[in-house]
Amino acid sequence: MVFIIKLLSSIISGMNQVFKRRMTFRYPDQRLFIEGDGYKYDPKTGIGINGYRGRHILYLEKCTGCSLCVMMCQGISQAIEMKNLPNKQITVNKKSMFPQIDYSKCVYCGFCVDACPFEALFETNEYELVSYDRESLLFTPEQLAIPPKKRPEPTVNLKYGDSDVYHG
Amino acid sequence: MSKIQTFSSFVKRLIIIIVGLLITLTLLFSLLAYFVPSVKELQDILLSSFGNPSLMLNYLDQKGLGLNSLFFKVVVFPGFTWAALIAAEIIWFERKFLAKMQMRVGPLYAGKIAGLLQPIADVIKLVFKEIIAPSSSDKWFFLSIPIIITSIAAALLAVLPVSEGWIIMRSDVSVLIIFALVGFVPIAVLLGGWASNSKYPFIGALRGLHQMIAFEIPMLISTLGVVLLTGTLDLVNIVYAQSNIWFILLMPIGAFVFFTCMIIELERIPFDLPEAESEIASGYLTEYTSMAFGNLQLGVYIRFYAMAGVFTTMFLGGWYGPQILPNGFEIANQVIWFTIKTLLVMILAIVLRGVNPRVRIDLLLRMGWSSLLILSFVNLFLVILILQTELSQIFGV
Amino acid sequence: MSKLSLSVGPQHPGSGHMRIILTLSGDYIIEAIPDPGYVHRGEEKLAEYRNYIQNIPHLERPVVLDATGAIFPYVLAVEDLMNIIVPERAQFIRVIMAELNRIISHLYYMAIYGIFMGHSTMFMWPVGDREVFIDLANTIAGQRVTYAFLVPGGVRNDMPEKVKEQADKACNYFEKRLIEYEHIFMNNPLFEKRTKGVGILPKQDAIRLGVVGPTLRASGVKSDVRKDDTYSIYNQLDFEIPVSNACDSWSRAWIHMEEMRQSMSIIKQCLKRIPTGPVKLNLKQIKVPPGESYSRVEAARGSLSYYLISDGGKVPYRVRIMTPSFRNLITIPYIMKGVMLADMPPTYWGIDYWPVEADR
Repeated sequence: MVFIIKLLSSIISGMNQVFKRRMTFRYPDQRLFIEGDGYKYDPKTGIGINGYRGRHILYLEKCTGCSLCVMMCQGISQAIEMKNLPNKQITVNKKSMFPQIDYSKCVYCGFCVDACPFEALFETNEYELVSYDRESLLFTPEQLAIPPKKRPEPTVNLKYGDSDVYHG
Repeated sequence: MSKIQTFSSFVKRLIIIIVGLLITLTLLFSLLAYFVPSVKELQDILLSSFGNPSLMLNYLDQKGLGLNSLFFKVVVFPGFTWAALIAAEIIWFERKFLAKMQMRVGPLYAGKIAGLLQPIADVIKLVFKEIIAPSSSDKWFFLSIPIIITSIAAALLAVLPVSEGWIIMRSDVSVLIIFALVGFVPIAVLLGGWASNSKYPFIGALRGLHQMIAFEIPMLISTLGVVLLTGTLDLVNIVYAQSNIWFILLMPIGAFVFFTCMIIELERIPFDLPEAESEIASGYLTEYTSMAFGNLQLGVYIRFYAMAGVFTTMFLGGWYGPQILPNGFEIANQVIWFTIKTLLVMILAIVLRGVNPRVRIDLLLRMGWSSLLILSFVNLFLVILILQTELSQIFGV
Repeated sequence: MSKLSLSVGPQHPGSGHMRIILTLSGDYIIEAIPDPGYVHRGEEKLAEYRNYIQNIPHLERPVVLDATGAIFPYVLAVEDLMNIIVPERAQFIRVIMAELNRIISHLYYMAIYGIFMGHSTMFMWPVGDREVFIDLANTIAGQRVTYAFLVPGGVRNDMPEKVKEQADKACNYFEKRLIEYEHIFMNNPLFEKRTKGVGILPKQDAIRLGVVGPTLRASGVKSDVRKDDTYSIYNQLDFEIPVSNACDSWSRAWIHMEEMRQSMSIIKQCLKRIPTGPVKLNLKQIKVPPGESYSRVEAARGSLSYYLISDGGKVPYRVRIMTPSFRNLITIPYIMKGVMLADMPPTYWGIDYWPVEADR
């Protein structure tokens, strides 16, 4: 008898879920919205600024080619290397050496952003970096300098209803 | 077939192909010759039926294919096509309903509205795959088991009374026919596992055998309660006897025992030990691929519909229900009520699937041989009590 | 009944990335010998070639479900050697992240328990609700699963303002959900029949074998590192430790559920009391003087401890990690005696054994 009562209460609890909204969302018709601008770092106070850690963005006019980001990543995943761009003449970067990032190795930890003292390397919200071959995952400095595309509409984010959770 | 290595095997293959061709062509031509006596007559009928469709119906009646013939009943309604359509849509409904219970969506893209054509997409995918039989198995036997299981399931449909006139075969011993067919399924499952000649299917088939045999007895005894109350073995008379009150109100314990045994015989979750466990790959279904697997699944779901129909007939009052269609459509009304009740029984089985984990084999067998057996005997004594006292007059049985 | 030797190996739907060698008599298990080591990656040796900051991403990967719990003792050991004191706000944020990670790990535990039982709803509901907490951790730390958020000196960035409101909504929603979980998962009669009385580990055996975590608390021993050997700011917070006297699989699952409730109450208290201030000391470089230190933390699965020896150079001399799964591995021969073969996967998952963490 207790068996039947417990079974009935579990059936009722399961049936309650049928009338609530579903939690999943339909990617790629709907994409997740991430607020903010990406992870940044302030070298004067030594504290990072809150944000999502996705693809990097490089400000070519600020980068001096000091290779501190390369040295930090040597112990983590060796994803950054310096590359010589002869036709970019920037006053602070005499040797014209800029970082290139291999996204097949990067673990998105953000320590390279923490290592840069000149605010030249930040991270953005973009996380859709799939490709068909490995060579196109190696982003040259010019490719890293392009700001990220705006996420195509419609975007959803997590919303809380009365007793359910849904993406809307 | 073996590879062509000698001239004699080549000749053997050639003879098989020629004989096969001859048989097929003969059958085809004789069929055409029966239905098409002359091209001119067929042309006349087709032309005139545009203005007057009943001429076409008369022509088909003459040939024995009309709306009241056995051919129509077996093939279209309430026979195989009807059951196959319901089986396909129950697969869709089960996936959608379980998905709704689990915070997600289910099939969505096949078919314009909500993924209704998903089962058909699955069947088309299965047709294009390759049928593989393991080399150490007994090949023809192995491939004929799905056909046997589906045929048994379809044969169960022959005695199901969908409404007053629409039964394929009405006989005096329908209940015995049902239990004979249900009792054959464990043997077919065991043969399927044995013919695969592999370790995991054999373990799964043995478990299926234990499970199905253990639970036929409570099912029989609860059916015995119904048979005692009405005094006949004919399903149509059992429905007639429920015109005043449904049997589920007279014998709730019996209905509960029958429903539980029904789910166990069908090997649905939470009792799907022979099929999909996390330790015996897929049980006796492991070695079946493409259309053999599709055939097996079709057989399982048609059997689900047939057993739910038997439950409706015996406990839920068959085709009786208030008249919701205008007068003159009684038969359609009966068909609609029968279908609605069967679908409700199937939905209850699906809800139980979503809520429970799987049972262990020793707990299952202990429950079958002790608790359910005792409950079914209690039900039997209650039925005898109803018969012997005045209660049967009160209920109008 | 003759004995059958079965190897539930690395490629099996019912085991993790490890092997258990079973000896069966009929359907009952007589002897079970675990065979770990398939995922050994040499984390302790790799840590000797990277400096103190570069160690953080790779050391949190073995315990990936509970990433904060893997780095917390490391950071405490380094700060102990450097003799620095972390600001208050950073300590509160660390505790919030640690408790969030505890909830996330326990929800994954319940999900896989459901798969091993054959209950697909018990997989879908916890994984769907886990998304709520992963989103919250995303708002605080910047990534969803592997955060690299704790560094020696504090935490890497500050929490935004909307975390309080989002955490309130998440905790309110999940407290209602836990009541539903009790109805449909814990009090389900079939679930109870399969797990009550199975996999018993008596109290003396648990103490003698040195078991940690929820497995220890399910055997009746009230022991938790947060109360016994308190670290960070846990002595300012008010929470309880669930203990159960029935030493079977059902009580282990029940303790995981109760711990989630306590974690939510800790998060709410922290968010009320959190002071303002900096979140990280502005250290110019991480210079660790020679010495050795030991630190211990209550991760989601038990007590995780680090023993760090430094000789004054840029890289540590020796990093020794002791994970809770490795300590609980010793119980597998004891709890499997007399269990049926069909109950083997849920029983070994019940002690919350994660092979990657045990092998490092």
